[in-house]
Amino acid sequence: MFIVLTKLASLTRPLLKDKSVLVIPTSVDLYQEGDLGSLNLKGLGQYLGEKTSIPFSLCGDIFEGLIEEKIDRVADQFSRTKVIDPRRRWIPREPLQGEIDYERRRIKNPGWRVFGNLYEGVFYQRIISDLVLGNRLDLRHCTLLFTNQLFGTWDRVDQRYHARVSLYGFPHLISISGLVEAPAKPKEFYLKKQRGIPLERLKEEYQGRFLDYGDQRMTEALKGYVMQALFLHLTGSPFCEDRDCRLFNSHWQEEVIRSQLNGKYEFCPKHEAILERLRSNSGRYDRQG
Amino acid sequence: MAQKKQIFTPVSEKEVTRAIVDGFARQFIEYVESDCLIVGGGPSGLMVGRDVARKGIKTLIVERNNYIGGGFWIGGYLMNKVTVREPGQEILEELGIPFEKATKGLYVADGPHACSKLIAAACDAGVKFANMTIFDDVVLREGGRVCGAVVNWTPVHALPREITCVDPIALETKFVVDSTGHDACVVKKLEERGILKTAGFGAMWVEQSEDLVVEHTGEAHPGLIVTGMAVATTYGLPRMGPTFGAMLLSGRKGAQVVLEKMKKV
Repeated sequence: MFIVLTKLASLTRPLLKDKSVLVIPTSVDLYQEGDLGSLNLKGLGQYLGEKTSIPFSLCGDIFEGLIEEKIDRVADQFSRTKVIDPRRRWIPREPLQGEIDYERRRIKNPGWRVFGNLYEGVFYQRIISDLVLGNRLDLRHCTLLFTNQLFGTWDRVDQRYHARVSLYGFPHLISISGLVEAPAKPKEFYLKKQRGIPLERLKEEYQGRFLDYGDQRMTEALKGYVMQALFLHLTGSPFCEDRDCRLFNSHWQEEVIRSQLNGKYEFCPKHEAILERLRSNSGRYDRQG
Repeated sequence: MAQKKQIFTPVSEKEVTRAIVDGFARQFIEYVESDCLIVGGGPSGLMVGRDVARKGIKTLIVERNNYIGGGFWIGGYLMNKVTVREPGQEILEELGIPFEKATKGLYVADGPHACSKLIAAACDAGVKFANMTIFDDVVLREGGRVCGAVVNWTPVHALPREITCVDPIALETKFVVDSTGHDACVVKKLEERGILKTAGFGAMWVEQSEDLVVEHTGEAHPGLIVTGMAVATTYGLPRMGPTFGAMLLSGRKGAQVVLEKMKKV
Protein backbone atom coordinates (compact mmCIF):
# COMPACT_ATOMS: atom_id res chain seq x y z
CA MET A 1 0.00 0.00 0.00
CA PHE A 2 2.83 2.37 0.90
CA ILE A 3 4.55 1.74 -2.42
CA VAL A 4 1.34 2.40 -4.32
CA LEU A 5 0.75 5.79 -2.70
CA THR A 6 4.32 6.91 -3.31
CA LYS A 7 4.03 6.19 -7.00
CA LEU A 8 0.64 7.80 -7.31
CA ALA A 9 1.99 11.32 -7.05
CA SER A 10 3.82 11.21 -10.37
CA LEU A 11 1.58 8.93 -12.37
CA THR A 12 -1.98 9.99 -11.75
CA ARG A 13 -4.37 11.81 -14.09
CA PRO A 14 -7.05 14.21 -12.88
CA LEU A 15 -10.65 13.37 -13.59
CA LEU A 16 -12.45 15.96 -15.63
CA LYS A 17 -15.18 17.03 -13.21
CA ASP A 18 -13.44 17.17 -9.84
CA LYS A 19 -10.04 17.34 -8.24
CA SER A 20 -9.71 13.65 -7.39
CA VAL A 21 -7.11 11.69 -9.29
CA LEU A 22 -7.17 8.18 -10.64
CA VAL A 23 -4.44 5.82 -11.80
CA ILE A 24 -6.10 4.22 -14.80
CA PRO A 25 -4.43 1.10 -16.13
CA THR A 26 -4.38 0.37 -19.85
CA SER A 27 -5.51 -3.18 -19.15
CA VAL A 28 -6.48 -5.57 -16.41
CA ASP A 29 -4.47 -8.80 -16.67
CA LEU A 30 -6.15 -11.89 -15.24
CA TYR A 31 -3.94 -14.89 -14.38
CA GLN A 32 -5.01 -18.16 -12.85
CA GLU A 33 -3.45 -20.81 -10.66
CA GLY A 34 -4.88 -24.27 -10.09
CA ASP A 35 -8.42 -25.55 -10.49
CA LEU A 36 -10.84 -22.65 -10.17
CA GLY A 37 -13.94 -24.82 -10.33
CA SER A 38 -16.96 -23.09 -11.78
CA LEU A 39 -15.35 -19.63 -11.67
CA ASN A 40 -15.96 -17.76 -14.90
CA LEU A 41 -12.82 -15.71 -15.34
CA LYS A 42 -13.88 -14.32 -18.70
CA GLY A 43 -17.19 -13.29 -17.17
CA LEU A 44 -15.31 -11.40 -14.44
CA GLY A 45 -13.24 -9.63 -17.09
CA GLN A 46 -16.36 -8.67 -19.02
CA TYR A 47 -17.95 -7.36 -15.84
CA LEU A 48 -14.88 -5.20 -15.23
CA GLY A 49 -15.11 -3.92 -18.78
CA GLU A 50 -18.77 -3.02 -18.40
CA LYS A 51 -18.19 -1.23 -15.11
CA THR A 52 -15.03 0.65 -16.00
CA SER A 53 -14.49 0.56 -19.78
CA ILE A 54 -10.99 -0.76 -19.05
CA PRO A 55 -10.07 -3.68 -21.33
CA PHE A 56 -8.99 -6.97 -19.81
CA SER A 57 -6.84 -9.84 -20.99
CA LEU A 58 -6.93 -13.46 -19.95
CA CYS A 59 -3.28 -14.39 -19.38
CA GLY A 60 -3.79 -18.07 -18.57
CA ASP A 61 -1.91 -20.22 -16.08
CA ILE A 62 0.68 -18.26 -14.12
CA PHE A 63 3.11 -21.19 -14.38
CA GLU A 64 2.73 -21.67 -18.11
CA GLY A 65 5.98 -21.84 -20.03
CA LEU A 66 8.29 -21.99 -17.02
CA ILE A 67 11.57 -23.74 -17.73
CA GLU A 68 12.63 -26.65 -15.51
CA GLU A 69 15.25 -24.61 -13.70
CA LYS A 70 12.71 -21.96 -12.80
CA ILE A 71 10.16 -24.59 -11.73
CA ASP A 72 12.75 -26.01 -9.33
CA ARG A 73 13.42 -22.59 -7.88
CA VAL A 74 9.76 -21.64 -7.53
CA ALA A 75 8.86 -25.03 -5.99
CA ASP A 76 11.60 -24.53 -3.44
CA GLN A 77 10.34 -21.02 -2.67
CA PHE A 78 6.71 -22.13 -2.25
CA SER A 79 7.69 -24.96 0.06
CA ARG A 80 9.50 -22.45 2.28
CA THR A 81 6.46 -20.19 2.35
CA LYS A 82 4.18 -22.67 4.12
CA VAL A 83 2.81 -21.62 7.52
CA ILE A 84 2.89 -24.67 9.78
CA ASP A 85 1.45 -23.22 12.96
CA PRO A 86 -0.94 -20.28 12.46
CA ARG A 87 -0.27 -19.18 16.05
CA ARG A 88 3.39 -18.58 15.35
CA ARG A 89 4.88 -16.03 13.05
CA TRP A 90 6.38 -17.60 9.96
CA ILE A 91 10.14 -17.97 9.93
CA PRO A 92 12.26 -19.42 7.12
CA ARG A 93 12.59 -23.18 7.37
CA GLU A 94 14.54 -25.73 5.39
CA PRO A 95 11.88 -27.72 3.47
CA LEU A 96 11.88 -31.49 3.07
CA GLN A 97 12.36 -32.91 -0.39
CA GLY A 98 8.78 -34.26 -0.25
CA GLU A 99 7.46 -30.72 0.22
CA ILE A 100 9.44 -29.42 -2.75
CA ASP A 101 8.30 -32.38 -4.87
CA TYR A 102 4.68 -31.60 -3.95
CA GLU A 103 5.09 -28.00 -5.11
CA ARG A 104 6.77 -29.17 -8.31
CA ARG A 105 3.80 -31.39 -9.09
CA ARG A 106 1.47 -28.50 -8.32
CA ILE A 107 3.31 -26.15 -10.67
CA LYS A 108 3.61 -28.68 -13.48
CA ASN A 109 -0.03 -29.72 -13.46
CA PRO A 110 -2.36 -26.98 -14.68
CA GLY A 111 -5.72 -27.25 -12.95
CA TRP A 112 -4.15 -28.75 -9.79
CA ARG A 113 -6.99 -29.50 -7.41
CA VAL A 114 -5.38 -30.17 -4.04
CA PHE A 115 -5.03 -27.35 -1.55
CA GLY A 116 -5.09 -26.90 2.20
CA ASN A 117 -1.61 -25.64 3.00
CA LEU A 118 -1.66 -22.13 4.40
CA TYR A 119 0.99 -19.97 2.76
CA GLU A 120 2.50 -16.74 4.04
CA GLY A 121 0.58 -14.31 1.85
CA VAL A 122 3.15 -11.55 1.47
CA PHE A 123 5.90 -13.98 0.51
CA TYR A 124 3.51 -15.85 -1.77
CA GLN A 125 2.75 -12.56 -3.50
CA ARG A 126 6.47 -11.92 -3.90
CA ILE A 127 6.98 -15.30 -5.60
CA ILE A 128 4.04 -14.68 -7.94
CA SER A 129 5.29 -11.19 -8.78
CA ASP A 130 8.39 -12.80 -10.25
CA LEU A 131 6.23 -14.91 -12.58
CA VAL A 132 4.15 -12.15 -14.13
CA LEU A 133 5.00 -11.68 -17.78
CA GLY A 134 7.94 -9.36 -18.32
CA ASN A 135 7.50 -5.61 -17.80
CA ARG A 136 3.79 -5.87 -17.06
CA LEU A 137 3.92 -5.48 -13.30
CA ASP A 138 3.52 -1.75 -13.19
CA LEU A 139 0.87 0.95 -12.90
CA ARG A 140 -0.10 0.58 -16.54
CA HIS A 141 -1.40 -2.91 -15.81
CA CYS A 142 -3.69 -4.01 -13.06
CA THR A 143 -2.55 -7.59 -12.52
CA LEU A 144 -4.72 -10.13 -10.71
CA LEU A 145 -4.06 -13.77 -9.91
CA PHE A 146 -6.97 -16.06 -9.07
CA THR A 147 -5.82 -19.07 -7.12
CA ASN A 148 -7.34 -22.10 -5.43
CA GLN A 149 -4.55 -22.04 -2.85
CA LEU A 150 -4.96 -20.56 0.60
CA PHE A 151 -2.83 -17.76 1.98
CA GLY A 152 -2.92 -15.75 5.16
CA THR A 153 -1.36 -12.75 6.79
CA TRP A 154 -0.10 -12.22 10.32
CA ASP A 155 -2.36 -10.21 12.58
CA ARG A 156 -0.31 -8.20 15.04
CA VAL A 157 -3.30 -7.67 17.33
CA ASP A 158 -4.27 -11.25 18.07
CA GLN A 159 -0.84 -12.64 17.19
CA ARG A 160 -1.90 -15.26 14.69
CA TYR A 161 -2.32 -15.87 10.99
CA HIS A 162 -5.69 -15.29 9.39
CA ALA A 163 -6.66 -16.79 6.04
CA ARG A 164 -7.54 -14.11 3.50
CA VAL A 165 -9.71 -13.88 0.42
CA SER A 166 -7.50 -11.27 -1.16
CA LEU A 167 -4.16 -9.61 -0.85
CA TYR A 168 -3.95 -6.43 -2.88
CA GLY A 169 -0.73 -5.10 -4.35
CA PHE A 170 1.57 -6.06 -7.22
CA PRO A 171 0.04 -8.40 -8.22
CA HIS A 172 -3.37 -8.62 -6.54
CA LEU A 173 -4.08 -12.13 -5.22
CA ILE A 174 -7.61 -13.48 -4.93
CA SER A 175 -8.18 -16.91 -3.40
CA ILE A 176 -11.33 -18.90 -4.06
CA SER A 177 -10.52 -21.26 -1.17
CA GLY A 178 -10.02 -18.10 0.88
CA LEU A 179 -13.51 -16.97 -0.03
CA VAL A 180 -14.82 -20.19 1.56
CA GLU A 181 -12.46 -20.38 4.53
CA ALA A 182 -11.57 -16.81 5.50
CA PRO A 183 -14.87 -15.02 6.19
CA ALA A 184 -16.33 -16.62 9.31
CA LYS A 185 -19.40 -18.83 9.03
CA PRO A 186 -22.30 -18.41 11.49
CA LYS A 187 -21.17 -18.86 15.10
CA GLU A 188 -23.52 -21.80 15.68
CA PHE A 189 -21.83 -23.63 12.81
CA TYR A 190 -18.54 -23.72 14.75
CA LEU A 191 -20.22 -24.63 18.03
CA LYS A 192 -21.91 -27.60 16.40
CA LYS A 193 -18.69 -28.57 14.65
CA GLN A 194 -16.94 -28.61 18.03
CA ARG A 195 -19.63 -30.98 19.28
CA GLY A 196 -18.55 -33.42 16.57
CA ILE A 197 -21.37 -33.02 14.08
CA PRO A 198 -19.94 -34.07 10.69
CA LEU A 199 -19.05 -31.22 8.40
CA GLU A 200 -21.17 -32.64 5.59
CA ARG A 201 -24.29 -32.54 7.82
CA LEU A 202 -23.55 -28.99 8.94
CA LYS A 203 -23.16 -27.92 5.33
CA GLU A 204 -26.61 -29.27 4.59
CA GLU A 205 -28.09 -27.52 7.62
CA TYR A 206 -26.52 -24.15 6.84
CA GLN A 207 -26.79 -24.37 3.07
CA GLY A 208 -27.02 -20.96 1.46
CA ARG A 209 -25.69 -19.08 4.49
CA PHE A 210 -22.09 -19.29 3.35
CA LEU A 211 -20.18 -19.84 0.14
CA ASP A 212 -18.85 -23.34 -0.31
CA TYR A 213 -16.51 -25.07 -2.74
CA GLY A 214 -18.11 -25.40 -6.15
CA ASP A 215 -20.73 -22.81 -5.22
CA GLN A 216 -22.41 -21.44 -8.33
CA ARG A 217 -22.44 -17.97 -6.71
CA MET A 218 -18.63 -17.80 -6.62
CA THR A 219 -18.23 -15.71 -9.79
CA GLU A 220 -20.89 -13.26 -8.70
CA ALA A 221 -19.35 -12.94 -5.22
CA LEU A 222 -15.87 -12.36 -6.60
CA LYS A 223 -16.94 -9.44 -8.76
CA GLY A 224 -16.66 -7.20 -5.73
CA TYR A 225 -13.17 -8.44 -4.89
CA VAL A 226 -12.02 -7.76 -8.44
CA MET A 227 -13.42 -4.25 -8.11
CA GLN A 228 -11.67 -3.80 -4.75
CA ALA A 229 -8.37 -4.66 -6.44
CA LEU A 230 -9.11 -2.20 -9.23
CA PHE A 231 -10.13 0.54 -6.81
CA LEU A 232 -6.85 0.14 -4.96
CA HIS A 233 -5.14 0.66 -8.31
CA LEU A 234 -7.37 3.60 -9.22
CA THR A 235 -7.61 5.44 -5.93
CA GLY A 236 -5.27 3.81 -3.41
CA SER A 237 -8.28 2.73 -1.34
CA PRO A 238 -9.94 -0.64 -2.02
CA PHE A 239 -12.68 -0.64 0.61
CA CYS A 240 -15.95 1.05 1.48
CA GLU A 241 -17.68 1.20 4.84
CA ASP A 242 -21.13 0.76 3.32
CA ARG A 243 -22.26 -2.84 4.00
CA ASP A 244 -24.32 -2.88 0.80
CA CYS A 245 -21.44 -1.81 -1.42
CA ARG A 246 -19.38 -4.48 -3.19
CA LEU A 247 -16.28 -2.77 -1.84
CA PHE A 248 -17.22 -3.56 1.77
CA ASN A 249 -14.43 -5.43 3.57
CA SER A 250 -16.41 -8.46 4.82
CA HIS A 251 -15.22 -10.54 7.75
CA TRP A 252 -18.28 -12.78 7.97
CA GLN A 253 -19.84 -14.96 5.29
CA GLU A 254 -23.16 -13.27 5.92
CA GLU A 255 -21.50 -9.93 5.14
CA VAL A 256 -20.07 -11.37 1.91
CA ILE A 257 -23.51 -12.57 0.88
CA ARG A 258 -25.08 -9.23 1.68
CA SER A 259 -22.48 -6.99 0.04
CA GLN A 260 -21.86 -9.19 -3.01
CA LEU A 261 -25.18 -10.90 -3.63
CA ASN A 262 -28.04 -9.28 -1.74
CA GLY A 263 -27.03 -5.64 -1.35
CA LYS A 264 -29.42 -2.75 -1.90
CA TYR A 265 -27.21 -1.78 -4.80
CA GLU A 266 -23.95 -2.90 -6.35
CA PHE A 267 -21.97 0.17 -5.39
CA CYS A 268 -22.71 2.92 -2.95
CA PRO A 269 -23.49 6.33 -4.52
CA LYS A 270 -19.92 7.57 -3.94
CA HIS A 271 -18.24 4.64 -5.70
CA GLU A 272 -20.93 4.40 -8.36
CA ALA A 273 -20.19 8.03 -9.21
CA ILE A 274 -16.51 7.24 -9.69
CA LEU A 275 -17.39 4.34 -11.99
CA GLU A 276 -19.82 6.48 -13.90
CA ARG A 277 -17.14 9.12 -14.45
CA LEU A 278 -14.70 6.44 -15.58
CA ARG A 279 -17.21 5.17 -18.13
CA SER A 280 -18.31 8.54 -19.37
CA ASN A 281 -14.78 9.88 -19.62
CA SER A 282 -13.25 6.81 -21.22
CA GLY A 283 -11.14 7.91 -24.15
CA ARG A 284 -11.19 11.58 -23.05
CA TYR A 285 -8.00 11.42 -21.02
CA ASP A 286 -4.72 9.57 -21.28
CA ARG A 287 -4.44 6.17 -19.72
CA GLN A 288 -1.21 5.08 -18.13
CA GLY A 289 1.15 4.10 -20.87
CA MET B 1 -21.08 -97.09 31.98
CA ALA B 2 -19.68 -96.07 28.57
CA GLN B 3 -16.71 -93.71 28.67
CA LYS B 4 -17.51 -90.27 27.22
CA LYS B 5 -15.53 -89.58 24.04
CA GLN B 6 -13.15 -86.59 24.27
CA ILE B 7 -13.80 -83.75 21.88
CA PHE B 8 -10.16 -82.69 21.45
CA THR B 9 -7.11 -84.83 20.74
CA PRO B 10 -4.99 -85.16 23.85
CA VAL B 11 -1.78 -83.06 23.58
CA SER B 12 0.73 -82.45 26.32
CA GLU B 13 1.72 -79.01 27.58
CA LYS B 14 5.24 -79.42 26.21
CA GLU B 15 3.89 -80.07 22.73
CA VAL B 16 1.84 -76.90 22.89
CA THR B 17 4.92 -74.94 23.95
CA ARG B 18 7.06 -76.49 21.22
CA ALA B 19 4.42 -75.64 18.60
CA ILE B 20 4.34 -72.00 19.68
CA VAL B 21 8.11 -71.61 19.84
CA ASP B 22 8.70 -73.48 16.62
CA GLY B 23 6.01 -71.61 14.70
CA PHE B 24 7.19 -68.25 15.95
CA ALA B 25 10.88 -69.02 15.43
CA ARG B 26 10.45 -70.29 11.88
CA GLN B 27 8.51 -67.23 10.86
CA PHE B 28 10.76 -64.84 12.72
CA ILE B 29 13.93 -66.31 11.20
CA GLU B 30 12.37 -66.02 7.76
CA TYR B 31 11.25 -62.42 8.31
CA VAL B 32 14.46 -61.13 9.90
CA GLU B 33 14.99 -60.09 6.32
CA SER B 34 11.99 -58.86 4.36
CA ASP B 35 11.26 -56.81 1.26
CA CYS B 36 8.96 -54.39 3.03
CA LEU B 37 8.91 -53.69 6.75
CA ILE B 38 5.92 -51.66 7.88
CA VAL B 39 6.08 -50.01 11.29
CA GLY B 40 2.56 -49.56 12.62
CA GLY B 41 -0.43 -51.82 12.03
CA GLY B 42 -3.14 -49.16 11.73
CA PRO B 43 -5.33 -48.70 8.65
CA SER B 44 -2.68 -47.14 6.42
CA GLY B 45 -0.03 -49.69 7.38
CA LEU B 46 -2.46 -52.56 6.83
CA MET B 47 -3.43 -51.13 3.47
CA VAL B 48 0.21 -50.85 2.36
CA GLY B 49 0.82 -54.40 3.56
CA ARG B 50 -2.22 -55.81 1.85
CA ASP B 51 -1.46 -54.16 -1.49
CA VAL B 52 2.26 -55.00 -1.63
CA ALA B 53 1.88 -58.55 -0.31
CA ARG B 54 -0.71 -59.24 -3.02
CA LYS B 55 2.09 -58.60 -5.50
CA GLY B 56 4.28 -61.24 -3.86
CA ILE B 57 6.37 -58.84 -1.78
CA LYS B 58 7.63 -60.37 1.47
CA THR B 59 6.03 -58.09 4.04
CA LEU B 60 6.21 -57.80 7.81
CA ILE B 61 4.18 -55.42 9.96
CA VAL B 62 5.61 -54.46 13.33
CA GLU B 63 2.96 -53.36 15.81
CA ARG B 64 3.62 -52.19 19.36
CA ASN B 65 0.22 -53.24 20.66
CA ASN B 66 -1.15 -56.71 21.07
CA TYR B 67 -4.01 -55.82 18.78
CA ILE B 68 -3.66 -54.84 15.12
CA GLY B 69 -5.80 -52.11 13.54
CA GLY B 70 -4.80 -48.95 15.43
CA GLY B 71 -7.63 -46.45 15.64
CA PHE B 72 -9.68 -48.15 12.94
CA TRP B 73 -11.76 -50.06 15.50
CA ILE B 74 -13.47 -46.91 16.66
CA GLY B 75 -14.39 -43.52 15.23
CA GLY B 76 -14.52 -40.23 17.10
CA TYR B 77 -15.29 -40.01 20.82
CA LEU B 78 -14.96 -43.79 21.38
CA MET B 79 -17.96 -44.47 19.16
CA ASN B 80 -17.39 -47.57 17.07
CA LYS B 81 -18.55 -46.18 13.74
CA VAL B 82 -15.90 -45.20 11.23
CA THR B 83 -16.46 -42.67 8.49
CA VAL B 84 -14.85 -42.32 5.09
CA ARG B 85 -15.30 -39.58 2.56
CA GLU B 86 -15.69 -40.27 -1.12
CA PRO B 87 -13.81 -41.96 -2.82
CA GLY B 88 -12.66 -43.92 0.27
CA GLN B 89 -15.80 -46.06 0.11
CA GLU B 90 -14.43 -47.70 -3.03
CA ILE B 91 -11.83 -49.43 -0.88
CA LEU B 92 -14.51 -50.48 1.64
CA GLU B 93 -16.37 -51.99 -1.26
CA GLU B 94 -13.27 -53.72 -2.57
CA LEU B 95 -12.61 -55.27 0.85
CA GLY B 96 -16.21 -56.37 1.24
CA ILE B 97 -16.87 -54.06 4.18
CA PRO B 98 -20.56 -53.14 4.53
CA PHE B 99 -21.22 -49.40 4.73
CA GLU B 100 -24.03 -46.93 4.33
CA LYS B 101 -24.29 -43.39 3.08
CA ALA B 102 -24.48 -40.86 5.90
CA THR B 103 -24.83 -37.80 3.74
CA LYS B 104 -23.55 -36.60 0.37
CA GLY B 105 -19.94 -37.78 0.00
CA LEU B 106 -19.75 -39.33 3.48
CA TYR B 107 -20.06 -43.03 4.31
CA VAL B 108 -20.20 -44.84 7.62
CA ALA B 109 -19.23 -48.41 8.53
CA ASP B 110 -19.03 -50.50 11.71
CA GLY B 111 -15.52 -50.11 13.13
CA PRO B 112 -15.10 -53.76 14.22
CA HIS B 113 -16.35 -55.05 10.88
CA ALA B 114 -14.21 -52.68 8.83
CA CYS B 115 -11.09 -53.23 10.90
CA SER B 116 -11.33 -57.01 11.06
CA LYS B 117 -11.96 -57.22 7.31
CA LEU B 118 -8.91 -55.06 6.62
CA ILE B 119 -6.74 -57.18 8.93
CA ALA B 120 -8.05 -60.34 7.30
CA ALA B 121 -7.35 -58.91 3.84
CA ALA B 122 -3.75 -58.18 4.86
CA CYS B 123 -3.36 -61.68 6.31
CA ASP B 124 -4.91 -63.28 3.23
CA ALA B 125 -2.51 -61.35 1.04
CA GLY B 126 0.40 -62.90 2.95
CA VAL B 127 1.42 -60.19 5.40
CA LYS B 128 3.09 -61.46 8.58
CA PHE B 129 2.91 -59.63 11.91
CA ALA B 130 5.20 -59.02 14.84
CA ASN B 131 2.82 -57.59 17.40
CA MET B 132 3.83 -56.47 20.90
CA THR B 133 6.99 -55.34 19.14
CA ILE B 134 8.09 -51.77 19.43
CA PHE B 135 10.19 -49.79 16.99
CA ASP B 136 13.40 -48.62 18.63
CA ASP B 137 15.70 -47.29 15.93
CA VAL B 138 16.51 -47.35 12.22
CA VAL B 139 19.20 -49.36 10.47
CA LEU B 140 21.14 -47.11 8.10
CA ARG B 141 23.51 -48.04 5.29
CA GLU B 142 25.79 -46.23 2.89
CA GLY B 143 24.52 -42.79 1.97
CA GLY B 144 22.18 -42.79 4.95
CA ARG B 145 19.67 -45.10 3.25
CA VAL B 146 17.16 -46.65 5.65
CA CYS B 147 17.34 -50.42 5.32
CA GLY B 148 15.90 -51.82 8.49
CA ALA B 149 14.52 -51.32 11.94
CA VAL B 150 15.75 -52.07 15.44
CA VAL B 151 12.94 -53.50 17.56
CA ASN B 152 12.26 -54.80 21.02
CA TRP B 153 9.41 -56.34 22.96
CA THR B 154 6.87 -53.72 23.96
CA PRO B 155 6.88 -54.79 27.64
CA VAL B 156 10.63 -54.27 27.77
CA HIS B 157 10.09 -50.64 26.83
CA ALA B 158 7.23 -50.29 29.27
CA LEU B 159 9.31 -51.19 32.32
CA PRO B 160 12.22 -49.33 33.96
CA ARG B 161 15.59 -50.03 32.35
CA GLU B 162 17.03 -51.41 35.63
CA ILE B 163 14.49 -54.19 35.59
CA THR B 164 14.51 -54.98 31.88
CA CYS B 165 17.97 -54.46 30.53
CA VAL B 166 17.25 -56.24 27.27
CA ASP B 167 19.02 -55.23 24.11
CA PRO B 168 16.91 -54.82 20.97
CA ILE B 169 17.46 -56.71 17.74
CA ALA B 170 17.63 -55.55 14.13
CA LEU B 171 15.46 -56.50 11.15
CA GLU B 172 16.67 -55.84 7.63
CA THR B 173 14.54 -54.90 4.66
CA LYS B 174 14.55 -53.16 1.31
CA PHE B 175 11.96 -50.54 2.34
CA VAL B 176 10.71 -49.34 5.70
CA VAL B 177 7.24 -47.79 5.83
CA ASP B 178 6.43 -45.39 8.64
CA SER B 179 2.73 -45.88 9.37
CA THR B 180 2.93 -44.94 13.03
CA GLY B 181 0.31 -42.18 12.98
CA HIS B 182 0.93 -38.72 14.39
CA ASP B 183 3.94 -40.05 16.33
CA ALA B 184 5.82 -40.62 13.03
CA CYS B 185 8.27 -42.72 15.08
CA VAL B 186 10.62 -43.68 12.25
CA VAL B 187 10.78 -40.19 10.79
CA LYS B 188 11.31 -38.76 14.28
CA LYS B 189 14.23 -41.13 14.79
CA LEU B 190 15.87 -39.70 11.68
CA GLU B 191 15.19 -36.26 13.07
CA GLU B 192 16.88 -37.20 16.35
CA ARG B 193 19.93 -38.16 14.34
CA GLY B 194 19.86 -34.84 12.49
CA ILE B 195 19.15 -36.50 9.15
CA LEU B 196 15.88 -34.68 8.46
CA LYS B 197 13.67 -32.13 10.17
CA THR B 198 9.93 -32.65 10.43
CA ALA B 199 7.55 -29.77 10.32
CA GLY B 200 5.06 -31.00 12.95
CA PHE B 201 1.34 -30.90 12.31
CA GLY B 202 -0.87 -27.84 12.12
CA ALA B 203 -4.41 -27.12 13.21
CA MET B 204 -7.18 -29.66 12.53
CA TRP B 205 -8.80 -29.21 9.14
CA VAL B 206 -10.49 -32.43 8.10
CA GLU B 207 -11.86 -31.24 4.80
CA GLN B 208 -8.54 -30.49 3.15
CA SER B 209 -6.01 -32.47 5.17
CA GLU B 210 -7.12 -35.75 3.66
CA ASP B 211 -6.21 -34.65 0.14
CA LEU B 212 -2.89 -33.28 1.32
CA VAL B 213 -2.01 -36.47 3.20
CA VAL B 214 -2.58 -38.58 0.10
CA GLU B 215 -0.69 -36.11 -2.10
CA HIS B 216 2.35 -36.04 0.21
CA THR B 217 2.49 -39.81 0.72
CA GLY B 218 5.78 -41.11 -0.61
CA GLU B 219 9.48 -41.53 0.04
CA ALA B 220 10.56 -39.01 2.68
CA HIS B 221 14.13 -40.28 2.79
CA PRO B 222 15.93 -42.95 0.76
CA GLY B 223 14.46 -46.28 1.83
CA LEU B 224 11.72 -44.73 3.98
CA ILE B 225 8.15 -44.33 2.79
CA VAL B 226 5.70 -42.42 4.98
CA THR B 227 1.95 -43.06 4.99
CA GLY B 228 -1.17 -42.06 6.90
CA MET B 229 -1.10 -39.54 9.70
CA ALA B 230 2.70 -39.78 9.90
CA VAL B 231 2.63 -37.84 6.63
CA ALA B 232 0.86 -34.94 8.35
CA THR B 233 3.51 -34.81 11.08
CA THR B 234 6.39 -35.09 8.65
CA TYR B 235 5.24 -32.30 6.36
CA GLY B 236 3.35 -30.05 8.77
CA LEU B 237 -0.04 -30.65 7.20
CA PRO B 238 -3.32 -29.82 8.91
CA ARG B 239 -4.26 -32.42 11.51
CA MET B 240 -6.89 -35.01 10.58
CA GLY B 241 -10.17 -35.67 12.31
CA PRO B 242 -11.95 -38.99 12.83
CA THR B 243 -12.26 -39.92 9.19
CA PHE B 244 -10.37 -42.74 7.56
CA GLY B 245 -10.57 -42.38 3.79
CA ALA B 246 -7.14 -40.76 3.62
CA MET B 247 -5.61 -43.56 5.70
CA LEU B 248 -6.79 -46.15 3.22
CA LEU B 249 -5.89 -44.12 0.12
CA SER B 250 -2.55 -43.04 1.57
CA GLY B 251 -1.79 -46.70 2.30
CA ARG B 252 -2.66 -47.58 -1.26
CA LYS B 253 -0.42 -44.83 -2.61
CA GLY B 254 2.39 -45.88 -0.26
CA ALA B 255 2.11 -49.41 -1.65
CA GLN B 256 2.34 -48.08 -5.21
CA VAL B 257 5.50 -46.18 -4.26
CA VAL B 258 7.03 -49.30 -2.69
CA LEU B 259 6.20 -51.41 -5.74
CA GLU B 260 7.57 -48.77 -8.10
CA LYS B 261 10.81 -48.39 -6.13
CA MET B 262 11.14 -52.14 -5.71
CA LYS B 263 11.61 -52.46 -9.46
CA LYS B 264 14.74 -50.35 -9.23
CA VAL B 265 16.34 -52.18 -6.27
